[in-house]
Amino acid sequence: MRPARIGATEVLRRPGRFAITAAVLALLVALQVVLWGLLDGLTGSTTGAYRALGADLLVYGPASRAALLRSQVSPELRARVEAADGVAAVGGLGVTLTWGRTDGAPVPTDLAVFGYERSTGRLPAPPPPGDGLADRSLSQEGVAIGDVLAVGPQGVPIRVSGWVQDASYLGQPGLWVAPATWRRVLATAAPDRVLPEGTWQALVVDAEGDAAAVAARIARATGAEALPLDEAISRLPGVEAQRASFLQLIGATTLVAGLVVALFFALITLERVRLFGVLKAVGVSSAQLLGALALQALTVTGAAYAVGVAAAVALARVAPEEVPIRLTGGRVLWVAPVLVGTALLGLATSLRRVVRIDPATAVVGR
Amino acid sequence: MSIALTEIRRSPLRFGLLTAAVGLLLALVLFLATVGGALLSRITGALERQSAPVLVFAVEARRNVQASLIAPGVAERVAAVPGVAAVAPWVTRGFTLRTGAGLRDGTLIGYEPGGPGAPTDIVEGRLPRMNGEAVLSALDAEAGFEVGSTVRVLPGGSPLEIVGLAEGASFAVQPTLFTPYEGFTAIARRAFPDAGPVLPSVLAVAPAPGEDPVALARRITEAVPGVEALDRQTAVASVPGTDAIRSSLGLLLGLAFVVVVVVIGFFFLIFAVQKADVFTLLLAMGTPARSLVGGLALQVVLVVGVGSLLATGLLAALATTGDRAFPISVDPGLALGTGATAVALSLLAALGAVRRIVRIDPAAAVRGGGGELA
Repeated sequence: MRPARIGATEVLRRPGRFAITAAVLALLVALQVVLWGLLDGLTGSTTGAYRALGADLLVYGPASRAALLRSQVSPELRARVEAADGVAAVGGLGVTLTWGRTDGAPVPTDLAVFGYERSTGRLPAPPPPGDGLADRSLSQEGVAIGDVLAVGPQGVPIRVSGWVQDASYLGQPGLWVAPATWRRVLATAAPDRVLPEGTWQALVVDAEGDAAAVAARIARATGAEALPLDEAISRLPGVEAQRASFLQLIGATTLVAGLVVALFFALITLERVRLFGVLKAVGVSSAQLLGALALQALTVTGAAYAVGVAAAVALARVAPEEVPIRLTGGRVLWVAPVLVGTALLGLATSLRRVVRIDPATAVVGR
Repeated sequence: MSIALTEIRRSPLRFGLLTAAVGLLLALVLFLATVGGALLSRITGALERQSAPVLVFAVEARRNVQASLIAPGVAERVAAVPGVAAVAPWVTRGFTLRTGAGLRDGTLIGYEPGGPGAPTDIVEGRLPRMNGEAVLSALDAEAGFEVGSTVRVLPGGSPLEIVGLAEGASFAVQPTLFTPYEGFTAIARRAFPDAGPVLPSVLAVAPAPGEDPVALARRITEAVPGVEALDRQTAVASVPGTDAIRSSLGLLLGLAFVVVVVVIGFFFLIFAVQKADVFTLLLAMGTPARSLVGGLALQVVLVVGVGSLLATGLLAALATTGDRAFPISVDPGLALGTGATAVALSLLAALGAVRRIVRIDPAAAVRGGGGELA
């Protein structure tokens, strides 16, 4: 029987021995998948609106530190931006964080009401005044097309005329409206932040050529803060801090998974020194033995991956509503090669020990 | 016991790897708990460490300070509720701050000096006495942005002199400045000249002596239409987003603890199975089972104890890197509590190995037979 087959047969005939490591690895896989899911969930609900914009650049007022809520772009500044080299199209953008309630709803829902001037990315042209395109997540709160939301302290009426997928902002569902409607909401929900007519919080810019280069030109020419969309997203409050913290946690989990595999195969190797000696005495090479161990490691890792992913999916289903886990196929698949690589690295700790086993061990013992 | 210790000494790889794995897992647990605690404190600190025991929100804001706007006339109605000693406006908005250390995001809070809602834990300097003065959240002080320095609030450029530092007074994970309400409104008007009146976000309420804040909050909510009054603790716990953070952290901490327990339990079970022959021999020679179990427990305690120390050291090392959006520090109480919980749970997890030992038949020493896992 070939060593690889011996290894496979051992896994099949004594699954209990390998179930231990598989269980630990499965929990670590579940932890990793949940961590990725939480990161994606938290980031997604924060950044959806910007991703929906799909524009090349966002331009903020001077010294606003890319914060929409305190940025002001005057008509004069806008004219200078429009005149900058590489600027193809410009539209105004503003947001008000408030709430809204459909007739008869027991509690209001938080809203990020966006006023905008033109179609970009996933956003169609602005709806007529009084209408709004709502983030689809609002449908889960019972809002339907045709419903009228009373928005803000004075209940500005806005009729939901369509949906926008994945367009929330700082954790609040987006409601995309025409400029005049947004200014009505702003005046009642944030009266001390009202902007003069023509002044916006930011500009959505389509660039000709390299977006970063155009952003730099706009900043130099106007003194405004111009950022490529990716950078604007990463500057949203909390995005970078969340990402850095979660990546550290995921890294630590990966390291622990590697150590667990290393520990387990170090133990298995220790336990079977004499058996390996016998196999070497009958002509099996170290490479073949390591191949068999690698096969076992991959089998255990594969099983752990499947169980761990299933556990994470189950956990995401039963998690409380306020836990924003978003599991995507890409992330779940991404965990697999990392886990396999980690397992093989962990297995490498047994490499030296296997290579140094003396075939004479079979006869005289250790 | 000495056999257990000798075994650890002679099998450094086996116990070293296990201790390292446990240490890393506990570091993960500590890191999660510490980051979570620090984050929550930086989100809600200004609410937690202000002097008003009761806060009154606009009911539609659903306990969100930043969405709440108190309409004119409401303060007078709240003041008329029996048991209310004082009512003061409390407002918060985000601004950019031009400091000696560069531009910073900042939260400005307007409160009534001498009234409820003032920062409570002044660790350096004093409270503001006039408009144009402010107290800064202590954690955010740095060179050029400290007591004695003047910052400019943008847009508008209004100056604010920092006259004190308040411990744990951050809000929305940003440097936070408490300044007199009247001065705040002037700053807001200068920043947004075309805007309307500055309305309070919430009302800060001081109960009459002997009045229970929870009961008073309930009375205010019932007596004044359109508002929801909350005692300070409930208001802090209701800050939007903190529920998600708490629940997510709870989930992650639970998972991480399960992994620790499973690692410890399963690996000591493996060790027990591997050493079944030796245990059988020792039992046959008269060594009591409790002595073997004691040795196992000692090994568990040592592995988890050293793992806990390793975890605390790792956290301390992480705390010094200072490259996160907010600093963290080692909380000895948390480290001790986590270590003790891990030891207790690990001893429970080792019950499988204990069961395996106590079920060994010493007679097997003469008729043979080793341990098998499954």
